[in-house]
Amino acid sequence: MSAPVSRRPDPVSRLGAGGLGGVRAGVELWLVLIGTIAGIVRMFRRGAARPKGAIVEQMWVIGNRSLLFVAVTLGFIGMVMIYQACLQFSRAIGDLSQVGTQFIRLIVSDFGPTLTAMMLATRVGAGIAAEIGSMKVTEQVDALRMSGVLPIDYLLVPRFLASVVMTVALAIVGAAIMYAAGGLTAYLSFGVNPRIFYDLQMVEGKHLILGLLKAVSYGAAIPVVSGFCGLRARGSSEGVGWATTAAVVGSSFAVIALDFALSVGALWLLGGDL
Amino acid sequence: MTAAAPAKLELRDVSVRFDGRLVLDHVDLTVAPGARVGVIGPAASGKSVLVKVMAGLVAPSEGRLLIDGHDVTGWSEERMAPVRARIGMLFQNYALYDFLTVGDNVGFPLVRRGEPEGQIARRVGERLRAVGLAGNEAKLPSQLSGGMKKRVGIARATIAAPELVLYDEPTAGLDPVTTSKMYDLLRDDHDRSGATAIAVSSDVTALLTFVETVVFVYQGRAHYQGPAATLADAPDPVVRQFVRGALDGPLVG
Amino acid sequence: MLGERSITSLGARAVAVSRELGGITILFAQVLRALVPPRLDGRELVRNLYKMGNRSVPIVALTAFFAGGLMVVQSAPFVKRLDATSLAGWAAGYAVLREIGPILIALMFSGRVGANNTAELGTMTVTEQLDGLRALAIDPIRYLIVPRVLAMLIMLVCLTVIGDLVALIGAAVVAKAVLGIEWGIMYASFTENLKPHDFLHGVYKSMAFGTAIAVTSCYFGVTVRGGAVGVGRAVNAAVVAAAVSIMLLDFFLTYVNA
Repeated sequence: MSAPVSRRPDPVSRLGAGGLGGVRAGVELWLVLIGTIAGIVRMFRRGAARPKGAIVEQMWVIGNRSLLFVAVTLGFIGMVMIYQACLQFSRAIGDLSQVGTQFIRLIVSDFGPTLTAMMLATRVGAGIAAEIGSMKVTEQVDALRMSGVLPIDYLLVPRFLASVVMTVALAIVGAAIMYAAGGLTAYLSFGVNPRIFYDLQMVEGKHLILGLLKAVSYGAAIPVVSGFCGLRARGSSEGVGWATTAAVVGSSFAVIALDFALSVGALWLLGGDL
Repeated sequence: MTAAAPAKLELRDVSVRFDGRLVLDHVDLTVAPGARVGVIGPAASGKSVLVKVMAGLVAPSEGRLLIDGHDVTGWSEERMAPVRARIGMLFQNYALYDFLTVGDNVGFPLVRRGEPEGQIARRVGERLRAVGLAGNEAKLPSQLSGGMKKRVGIARATIAAPELVLYDEPTAGLDPVTTSKMYDLLRDDHDRSGATAIAVSSDVTALLTFVETVVFVYQGRAHYQGPAATLADAPDPVVRQFVRGALDGPLVG
Repeated sequence: MLGERSITSLGARAVAVSRELGGITILFAQVLRALVPPRLDGRELVRNLYKMGNRSVPIVALTAFFAGGLMVVQSAPFVKRLDATSLAGWAAGYAVLREIGPILIALMFSGRVGANNTAELGTMTVTEQLDGLRALAIDPIRYLIVPRVLAMLIMLVCLTVIGDLVALIGAAVVAKAVLGIEWGIMYASFTENLKPHDFLHGVYKSMAFGTAIAVTSCYFGVTVRGGAVGVGRAVNAAVVAAAVSIMLLDFFLTYVNA
């Protein structure tokens, strides 16, 4: 905090205040999610205020500009993961034939969507928070309210829908690139036959469903968290900076938490056989 | 472009608290229909918050806001929408949508109402001409100067024939000539429409060429409410010091 | 003319990226030069250490816990199939120490501290405070940037170490809660199969990540243009650049230090 505090409250009350603040923020965040979904419903019912073609524009912003970023980062991490995995497999088991099949299973049900979403949380999350944050700080959000427009409907709903669609799309692309890069590494560094590596036999419907569910959840969480942070921006450029920071951290953490929750849930539902 | 019936606004015992800090302190204010009221006072006195309360953008912690006799305190955004349709607001930093052109900005309030495109374009053209910016529909806000952006803001605030217009610092940062032109414009507008006007400004002299009644706000309280003519003779020492621009007196920097 | 336009825009992007890269390298060189006789503001260093470390521990710890747990969940079916519960600790631990720990913690750090740093420096740039420093004959690099870079580097390494530990704990907790594997088995699995080299591998990576995050974060902070919108964009750029650097560095370091 910038202003000096003359008397620092004791740690216990700070913890309590922090906890209360956290709970309040959690409730507000939940309200934003509900508000966004309500906004989507409103959109279908009335054709309410929305910039023309906003959804498509947002899809372009999110998808197009993140494609290269996602491709590069997921490609590299795919190579690294396979390298590490092959190293370990040869140390422990000495047999690399299972690496490919296990890898694709993990990519589909987890790493593809999750790593893509982690990357998107930084790119898209920061972008949304920065845009909405600077609008809030320059009173454009208030101006919208004065024109009878709900900021959530106008600003958040298009980004929400675009993000859900694009996260799924990019997750698929990211997963494909990871898979390809991984196989290449296995072949070049460990001599694994591509035909053995690229074997889809272990992938089942439940993996696809889990992966899709994760991608959709991440795609929903990122704009809600980032939009929430943007709408809370206060002050001027400092406030926008804070909002963007909070959005990146919040979105990334949301992705990890959702990943954990959905993975554990799936494990439990399927009786330990994922 | 005459307003249907100028709006009456009332603040009853309104207090606003931000994080425990008292920003507005038991303010009572009545604005008659068609009146022109100025809100003045030193920096950070709560003037802008007062205007935001009037617009319903900030809900008072205590007290009521009444528009045309209806208590609209703490109304949700949805309920406020028809009320806001009759209010126009000029924001301190213009708050123009930077992703829309000037024309789209000015026409925005009308698009909300579902008016046909051709009619919107015509009225946008009218308003831009009235503020002296004819032909600038295709420009982006980033391409305009401060004074021009303020005028676009006024055009947007008044395009829907509002019955109450709120101006938050209409001439801040403008040179004296542009300031005079701005108040000429406001006077013409309100002479023709008869709408109620409430203007917040730090530039008292220029403001007094437009308003008849003045409210002086200091530390969240209204120290003076009355005709502009008798402002200088106010009994309150804080008001007198401010009016004279003197350095010594009860006003704290 | 779609082809021509996309090639032009691709070229323009490449030029922009190389300009940023050049700027970042130059800043890095300036920081190194300011370190050679290490004269820097000790107070600023301590202040930044406190600010950056203190703020990040909760979020890093929480993230690490979940990450560790996740690794166990992912290895669960494989472990069950081979009925090798003793391997669960090794599988999760290996991934955490060498890859997931350093990368995830670096990403979170980049978001929490890196972005915040860019925002602070950006606001200072926009309000002309950096020029003000220069007018007082104070070198912004020595006074502002070097302490921050050092603080971020030191802090990320510390946080990675702490995070690794928490992640292993998280793995053990989840292993017990979800798979019913006893603490003792996990502990034995860790100590028998994980070597100090695995741990150091992760630490070296975090050093590289920390430097990358620090320099990119400062660079984008001091090159801000255009008020509140500019600051937002700078934070966006900084976080993206940091993420790409982390992935690239991870790639190279994995091969170099296997």
